Amino acid sequence: MIFEKILSLSKKEHKVTDNMRKHIKLLCNACSLFGTAIEKNDRSLMRDLIDIERESDSIRREIISKIHDGAFLPYLRPDLCRFVEIVDHVFDVLEDTAHYCLDGKIPEQIKSECIRIAYLNSKICEMLLITFEAMLKGDDLREKTLAIRIYEKKIDDIKFSLIKDIHKIPISNFWEGKILSDFISGITTISDIIEDASDYLQIINVSMK
Amino acid sequence: MWKVLSGVLLGWSLGANDSANIFGTGVATGTIKYRTAISLTAIFVLLGALLEGPKCMETVGELSILLTIEAFYCSLAAGITMTVLTYFAVPASASQAIIGAVIGSGILSGAADFSKLYKIIICWIVTPVSGIVFGYFLHRSLRYVLDKTITNITYLNYIYSTGIIVAGCYGAYSLGSNNVANVTGVYVGSGLLSAGMASLIGGFSIAFGSLTYGKKVMMTIGKGIAPLDPFSAFVTILALSFTLHIFTQIGVPVSSSQAIVGAIVGVGIVGGLRTVSTKMVAKIAAGWVITPLSAGILTVLFIKLFVS
Repeated sequence: MIFEKILSLSKKEHKVTDNMRKHIKLLCNACSLFGTAIEKNDRSLMRDLIDIERESDSIRREIISKIHDGAFLPYLRPDLCRFVEIVDHVFDVLEDTAHYCLDGKIPEQIKSECIRIAYLNSKICEMLLITFEAMLKGDDLREKTLAIRIYEKKIDDIKFSLIKDIHKIPISNFWEGKILSDFISGITTISDIIEDASDYLQIINVSMK
Repeated sequence: MWKVLSGVLLGWSLGANDSANIFGTGVATGTIKYRTAISLTAIFVLLGALLEGPKCMETVGELSILLTIEAFYCSLAAGITMTVLTYFAVPASASQAIIGAVIGSGILSGAADFSKLYKIIICWIVTPVSGIVFGYFLHRSLRYVLDKTITNITYLNYIYSTGIIVAGCYGAYSLGSNNVANVTGVYVGSGLLSAGMASLIGGFSIAFGSLTYGKKVMMTIGKGIAPLDPFSAFVTILALSFTLHIFTQIGVPVSSSQAIVGAIVGVGIVGGLRTVSTKMVAKIAAGWVITPLSAGILTVLFIKLFVS
């Protein structure tokens, strides 16, 4: 058993990191798809996001089971699992937001701002992938996490102006207002969650030094 | 041959207590399974005892000319002292207990050779200091080398996990080679056993102690050390192993518990932590005095009561 572990030369760890990379890349695709779906008002693309969430769940399960099967030092496992769960949470929020889009229609007054946020979300995901790759190499993550925080701040600024704008939009009933509010909340929460994920990458990076 | 039994008992308790210093961190953090850890400890303790154990045997034997019955009571007194002092939470060392017992017996018979004692006492004091020095410099140098060569997290993870196992095996080897003299060294001095046979019996008894009763102590020690990160844990075990191995080459049996405490302090200093507490230093210093003194007095009592 022990010699098997020594001779396997980190096979399990490579499998985990490959799957984590796949998970983040899938998130980048999902965010980009979400932006396109809003821009083109394409309901079938929105439905694709629900399938992507299911695919993400399956990758998450595979990663967690491999980690609990002995990949990486027990010291690192909780932080790695937490990171994967945070990334998976982004998929959940994206799926919920896609549902709100399917249930209602994005008012034209705020559509351009929503597309901008979706674009920034896609950028922040790409930055998370870059940070993840840097973490694997053991590089310094400070600049990368700073970039993520800057993106998050930009989205926060848009969020506040968006909240002001939606006050001016006429609402015909409670549920229409609720769906719109949940949609705004969902689309602007993604960057917060990705920022949390990048913090965990920083923790993992520091704890191995 | 029944007179060897007290030594076997001492070896068993030493194995149960001191093997925890080696793989405690690895087991408590899940890097290595308990069964694998104790099996590796037993194998390498025995190997160390057989290959390098005789180097420290002479030191114990040369302190005094002992009769075989006196050797029996020396081991018994050392074993009882260890048990009682451990019960009262005084850090007891088998090395200090057996040396105290031999000197006690030697004083009674007038055969004690105090000229050898100064070397041993210096080594006791230097043991935790060596742990600190090795812990500090190994942490600094290995960190520097790893930062320059391997930064990939997957490979670092591999190095740390295999490093803890390899360093643990080396630690078990060093423990066997250094501490076997505590267990059966007195029988070599009394002429009951040859150095080779004493190493074999002592090695087996230490290995048996780690195999049968190491778990509880291992978890207690390991969880106390567990907050160390993997790299520091690896360095700590390596520093302990180097310390013990160097003292084996000098030919003086020393305390593995004091060596690991020193190593942890050394690693802590690198991080700028205030790990050196006066309370801990006082406890170690108290052990230096109380352990040999208690074992010596107990041996004198045993010999007065049962031999004289």
